[in-house]
Amino acid sequence: METPVSALHSIADYRTAYEEGVRLRGVRSACGFVTATWGLVCPKCGQRDLVEADLDGRGKICAFSVQNVPSDEFLNDAPYAYVVVDLEGGGRITGWIDGVAREGDLAIGSPVEWVSSYKPGVHFRVRAGATSGSGAP
Amino acid sequence: MASAHRHKYGTKESELGAVAVKNHANGARNPHAHFQKEISIETYLKSPVIASPLRLYDCCPFSDGAAAIVVAAKERLPSPPMVPLVVRASVRTGSIADMHDRSSMTGLPATRLGADRAFKMAGLERGQIDFLEVHDCFTIAELMALEDLGFFPPGSAGAATADGTTQRDGRLPVNPSGGLKAKGHPVSATGASQVVEIFEQFNHLAGGRQVAKAETALAHNVGATGGSCSVHIFGRP
Repeated sequence: METPVSALHSIADYRTAYEEGVRLRGVRSACGFVTATWGLVCPKCGQRDLVEADLDGRGKICAFSVQNVPSDEFLNDAPYAYVVVDLEGGGRITGWIDGVAREGDLAIGSPVEWVSSYKPGVHFRVRAGATSGSGAP
Repeated sequence: MASAHRHKYGTKESELGAVAVKNHANGARNPHAHFQKEISIETYLKSPVIASPLRLYDCCPFSDGAAAIVVAAKERLPSPPMVPLVVRASVRTGSIADMHDRSSMTGLPATRLGADRAFKMAGLERGQIDFLEVHDCFTIAELMALEDLGFFPPGSAGAATADGTTQRDGRLPVNPSGGLKAKGHPVSATGASQVVEIFEQFNHLAGGRQVAKAETALAHNVGATGGSCSVHIFGRP
């Protein structure tokens, strides 16, 4: 579902979204740029001609870091992986994967998918049955 | 960004370590540095991983500190008591705020833009810079800065650091102060302290960390994970 981006969200919008279920949403610009970062202006072309749209929750890791010293919000989740993901339908997003203790557990190129979660941040998991990525040298 | 840089260019752990060893060696000769001790590559490699691939000695500390600069019009300083820095270029640039929306994961677009504008403003070439103070908040940040500023091709600053090119007595000294890594990172004072280091080098006041030639230098400072960047080039009167 696409909706024009024209104003800040109201409390009613958040209530409606909550009732409809949590989705991964982003913004698509008229120039074609897709971002998971909600905003009123396209960070690439500077235009205001934007629509809000669902993002494909599947993608591949393009950068990651295993965090042994977490921020306060993730105090009980360390170690975990901070990941930057290239989404299949376009756009790049930053999130995290729990239960990753060693660098060798992940690789750049690993296929992942977004999971709806009560925890903070954008929560991903490695896609079950998917082949591993190209591997970090 | 460190993982993406390693994936794309094969950046080695020992190359990141070479940045830390060099900057600690410089910091050990700086009486104003937060860390005034040398470390060995073995110490670096034994240090715990904080956020892979970065170890404890890849990270700069949080520091307390202060620095001051007096800026004056040329005619106000007819016979300056010391060699003043002449501002040849002063540039401020930005990148898209969110790192994942930027065009590059292996460098900072703001630094690339800032360097190009600064060299154009100064009318200088990279080869005319004697030494640099760059924003090494992490060791990988120094390598990316050297590549983004145009002193080394992408992916090659690690090897140049490992072979000694950026040491005090190397072809292009980088962070003779010890950098953020060893001199420390008192956030708001960091950029000004780079300029103070360049002033001391120009006036041959840098003692054991003095570089051989100090007539033209560049300072590179970053904020907000590269969301903002400043590049200054200084020369002699």
